[in-house]
Amino acid sequence: MTEIDRRTADVVVVGAGLAGLTAAIRLAEAGLRVVTVAKGLGSIRLSPATIDILGYGPDLVHEPARELQGFLSAHPGHPYSLVSPVQLAASVQWLKEHTDGTAYVGDPDANMLLPTALGVPRPSAVVPETMAAGDIRKSRSVAVAGFSVLKDFQPDLAAENLQAAAAALGFGMTVRPLHLNTRVNGEADVSSLALARRLEDTAFRNAVAAELTAGLRDEDAVGLPAVLGLDQAASVWSDLQAMVGRPVFEIPTVPPSAPGMRLAKVLQDRLRHAGGRLVLGSEVVGAEVQGGQLAGVRVKTAARQLAWMCRWVVLATGGFASGGLAVDLSGAVSETALGLPVSGPPPDEPLFLPRYLDEHPMGSVGLKVDPLLRPLAYDGEPVHPNLYAAGAVIGGARPAREKSGDGISLSTGYLAAGIILQEAG
Amino acid sequence: MTTTWEAAELIRGSLDHCVKCTICESACPVAAVTPLFPGPKYVGPQAERFRTHEPSVDASLDYCSSCGICTLVCPQGVHVAEINSQARQKMKSQRGISLRDQLISRTPVQGKLGTPIAPLANAVLANKVARLITEYVIGIHRNAPVPKFAGRTFQRWARRRPASATAGTDKVVYFHGCSTNYFEPGLGEKTVAVLEHNGFSVVIPPQECCGLPLQSNGIFDTGRSYVRRLVRNLAPYARQGYKIVATSTSCGLMLKREAIEILGVDDNDLRLVSEHTYDICEFLADLDAAGRLRTDFGPVPMTVTYHAPCQQQGHNIGKPALDLFDLIPELKVVELDRACCGIAGTYGLKREKYEIAMKVGSGLFSDIRGAHPDAAVCDSETCRWQITHGTGATSVHPVEILHRAYGLA
Amino acid sequence: MRGFSTVLVERGDLATGTTGRFHGLLHSGGRYVVKDPKAAEECYAENVVLRRIAADCIEDTGGLFVTTPADDPGYADRFLQSCAATGIPAEEIPAAEALRREPRLNPRISRAIIVPDATVDAWKTVWTTARSATEHGAQILTYHQVVDMTRDGDTVTGAVVRDRSGAEVRIRAEITINATGAWAGQIAAMAGCEVKVLPGKGIMVATNHRLVNMCVNRCEMPGDGDIIVPIRTVSVIGTTDVQVADPDDWPITRAEIDEMITAGEALVPGFREARTLRVWGGVRPLFQDDAPAETRDVTRAHAVLDHKTRDGVAGLVTITGGKFCTYRLMAQDAVDAACKALGTSRPCHTADEPLPDSQDQSFYHISSRLAGRERTLHADQLICECELVRRGRLVAEIERREVPPSLDDIRRALRLGMGPCQGGFCMYRATGILHEERHLSAAAADDAMLDFLQERWKGVQPLLHGDQLRQAWLDDWIFQGVLDVEHLPHVEPAPADAPAGHDVPSRVQLPAQERKSARERRAAGQRGSGQQRPARSQKRTQP
Repeated sequence: MTEIDRRTADVVVVGAGLAGLTAAIRLAEAGLRVVTVAKGLGSIRLSPATIDILGYGPDLVHEPARELQGFLSAHPGHPYSLVSPVQLAASVQWLKEHTDGTAYVGDPDANMLLPTALGVPRPSAVVPETMAAGDIRKSRSVAVAGFSVLKDFQPDLAAENLQAAAAALGFGMTVRPLHLNTRVNGEADVSSLALARRLEDTAFRNAVAAELTAGLRDEDAVGLPAVLGLDQAASVWSDLQAMVGRPVFEIPTVPPSAPGMRLAKVLQDRLRHAGGRLVLGSEVVGAEVQGGQLAGVRVKTAARQLAWMCRWVVLATGGFASGGLAVDLSGAVSETALGLPVSGPPPDEPLFLPRYLDEHPMGSVGLKVDPLLRPLAYDGEPVHPNLYAAGAVIGGARPAREKSGDGISLSTGYLAAGIILQEAG
Repeated sequence: MTTTWEAAELIRGSLDHCVKCTICESACPVAAVTPLFPGPKYVGPQAERFRTHEPSVDASLDYCSSCGICTLVCPQGVHVAEINSQARQKMKSQRGISLRDQLISRTPVQGKLGTPIAPLANAVLANKVARLITEYVIGIHRNAPVPKFAGRTFQRWARRRPASATAGTDKVVYFHGCSTNYFEPGLGEKTVAVLEHNGFSVVIPPQECCGLPLQSNGIFDTGRSYVRRLVRNLAPYARQGYKIVATSTSCGLMLKREAIEILGVDDNDLRLVSEHTYDICEFLADLDAAGRLRTDFGPVPMTVTYHAPCQQQGHNIGKPALDLFDLIPELKVVELDRACCGIAGTYGLKREKYEIAMKVGSGLFSDIRGAHPDAAVCDSETCRWQITHGTGATSVHPVEILHRAYGLA
Repeated sequence: MRGFSTVLVERGDLATGTTGRFHGLLHSGGRYVVKDPKAAEECYAENVVLRRIAADCIEDTGGLFVTTPADDPGYADRFLQSCAATGIPAEEIPAAEALRREPRLNPRISRAIIVPDATVDAWKTVWTTARSATEHGAQILTYHQVVDMTRDGDTVTGAVVRDRSGAEVRIRAEITINATGAWAGQIAAMAGCEVKVLPGKGIMVATNHRLVNMCVNRCEMPGDGDIIVPIRTVSVIGTTDVQVADPDDWPITRAEIDEMITAGEALVPGFREARTLRVWGGVRPLFQDDAPAETRDVTRAHAVLDHKTRDGVAGLVTITGGKFCTYRLMAQDAVDAACKALGTSRPCHTADEPLPDSQDQSFYHISSRLAGRERTLHADQLICECELVRRGRLVAEIERREVPPSLDDIRRALRLGMGPCQGGFCMYRATGILHEERHLSAAAADDAMLDFLQERWKGVQPLLHGDQLRQAWLDDWIFQGVLDVEHLPHVEPAPADAPAGHDVPSRVQLPAQERKSARERRAAGQRGSGQQRPARSQKRTQP
């Protein structure tokens, strides 16, 4: 028989992704005792760290704030319908204020078009300042430089695609690839993170700048993979920019993501400074229910279980990628932390379609929530009056396609905290 | 009392959860400082698909420090560090285990030899020439932070201590570990005082090593016999429902989880002991949550840093030390956010790994120095020795702060 | 090797027919020893030969025949007797010993017999054999599809083939060997001959890691799903046996997948919870002169057909039927028949001359890539991390071919993209390297990537769940969220007569009517709904 230990908090946030950390920080800064339990780290660290509000709906979106209304009419049940335009804008503003170390620029009124590592212009509304100069609307002539030691960025392919893609969108650009052969300790296989750390070393940075400058001609701007430092990103970027004598922009690429780790660290630091606690390796295995309310969550610890008793719970465990949702061999979908009701696609629909780029019915599966972000039971009533959901665990969106995941996580996390704060008085 | 393949498959089988996301390798403190270690994803779930019972081929695995951060941060539930530990044990059993590793993993042997001759032993260990010779002959780095023998054992104190006036009828069992026994008996005394202050009668059964250093060095069979012997000593109390508190957070984790998961010891007594084992701060914070902790703390006008060691994080209980410190007036606590101090038990003592360990810890060292604390607080003894070595700062267990706050000094 | 000037044409990449689609078991012959001793003897004899000439392609895993509670315990005795009679080494061991060696086996097995099964890397074997052929002067033309056989009266004089660009090449030959396996009937028909080959479809499911390290067989009469094969880094459960009409068009049904997983569970408890990577299938060429009811009963021995005797058409020999483990013998027999038809007699040496890289007769070992990577840890980049493919090897493979390879070609040669992430991390890197090394246009490189994405999806989609679903979501996040692959600027519209290729089933099998119309839609150049860009179906040329 396993004993269950008990500790207390005001709010337990389950999940340390963008939605979870946003909610936790907001609550902790308001003076509530917040414990964030997470099975592990993830999502933010793997992401490009841009805040994508809405990129495709399915056509290219230029002004997310303005076009959101139309999008929602065509997509009823989308998580953005839970968030008012004012709250969306407020959450973005909140993030900018809380990331002054990572300096975000842009707003939901207009999408920039930033190149991906494949050279495709991707619509993003709010981005780290280190990336903004990559907006294809800004530059006529751009160089895209890759490091020969970095396999996760392929400049030739990116450059050629970017030029063609920009042209297809009506922007005449010339994009030229460059290869930087500066070595890193004689290693042939250097990850984005290792390169980012190395660039924080002045001598190395100078060598890179020299090689870069030697290779440039009269380009307006130069793009590099997103490896411009980890803790010292701001100074690495501005230093490099000064040495190269023209705007430099980061291009996010496949994980590991240096910008993602920067954002994760900034938010985790904020949580810590606000007195919030982050408990890792803590998988939620059940709920403590008392008197019809959720009284806490039970997590696995090294030898037992621990019940975090609290007044409110925010479930921000993410979707299938994070493990917040799962599907078994028979096709049954489940919400993995608290066993909340979640429906898969209708029985007459297959879960997945034959072509990779199809819109698979499984793609928008998730929790149904009420206007207060409370997960609903099959009878349409909230499962618990004090349980809120935020982020990708909520169904109704196709974040990777729409380029909407960050905006959904940020705004619903922000909103969930706001609702709890109202209740707390 | 055998290792079961189920236990092994539970660990090895968890490699199926790996989606190659790179979170573990981005968090690995060793991979961040040396290319000699290809990273936990590589040597764990990735390489394991290429391993069978045949001879091991990847020596780079040995640079894993077993800090366990990879397992902690994995969002999919891969037991990365445990896979690495088991693979390394297999490799070492095939290639042979050095004299050095045999020596440094047997703390009781060191303790029994060194305690009676403590002043001499300490002098030798502090002597540069002797350390140089030790480095060449055995392979322990000349600058490695080895502890000082106390010259007396905590067990002896326990046997001879007077009955306490404040002890109540509630019993709790103290698993003090080798470091308290041979190097820091004072910590043990303070722990007993704190517990007695809270009305507990502290039982200190005869006990020896939990086998963690043996496990870390891939000497699994001896490790198993050590832990089984320890469990025999503690199980009778667990059967009576008493909780077992540990001040060495890494040894506590060994009993809670690692002996089962890594050594694969399949033993009902161990399971029972494991369920009853608590890290001391966890125990006290639980008491506080239940309203049963004495909160008559006097002011402690100190600035301290708090570093939660990797193994403390591995308990998955948060940082209860911080919750306890919140109760102490005037105490200023700087919570640090660095992953690892580098020592990883015996890893940083080794000639070929010492520099790596110091690089791993360098961020933590500079954070501590920058905070100018009166003391650097840390739950693990080997980390405390490393921290003092790297910063010059005094390093203490959280219990020492509580002890002072209670005015028990 | 016998001194003929030879051209080999293959409509796709080498081994994309049946050869590259089986589970990799190099039979000891035990599987057939009770039911068809002659076939078993043949298997074992070739097993020995292949171990001698192709050691580098073979992993000496050994094999176990085990009696589960559902099997007839008496079969084991017949098995042992038959092995003794045919000379196949078979040694019974206590069940406990079998469980010690293979801890994941069903603990309730009652008997266990060790046989010299092994596993063989089909692509490696085929490519190495091709290399040997070119070293002896042969010309090998992949992606050259036969569109007609040429005849001069009653004699076949060669073939007309079409290459990737659509250009036609006429090949004159004194003798043509039709070695197209399940497609042999279609080729023979072009020369006016009838060869009845029944395509017998079998599906296989791969698990993410090796659940067993020996080949494990049910000690029973051959049936469906009675083998688990540890091939390279995965285990494969197989297989089914369903007659299909068209070797290029057949579904993989949900029921078959469930059947295979259930079969796996009988041998390895917990198989159902194991992470399954993908499902695929192949069609066996079952040659028949008569028409029996169930394809499994059709003889497995191969057949060499001299069409002069059979159909009065000279210059053409067909080899069909058979199985992988007797491939060398089949080739020997086919070339013997060709020699006879040409009126010469030249001896065969393939049983004695080792293939390139197999001269030292040391078997492949599963850890070899890991050992190799230890040596290149600092000197070369790891491109496919799951399968430990380094950049040097990738570049060599890219450079080697006259025509730039597709990513799927590279996959077959190097196993790129065959691990748990199914290309999630390596695809971008490999595409960039391919683009750079072969100076492809970005459009061509993008196409290569999109094709490969679809190809990987094809095998994953039918049983996507659990861990593999999480993987697919993460991969989607990378391709769509980070790279935005669906908005690439280049799209090469598929030509109007683009082949339908192998129909990709969804979890619920679409009714035949719908499948047909989907194919027709594709052929007409129309696109599916709800997407920005046309999807890529696997390009597969029809005969």
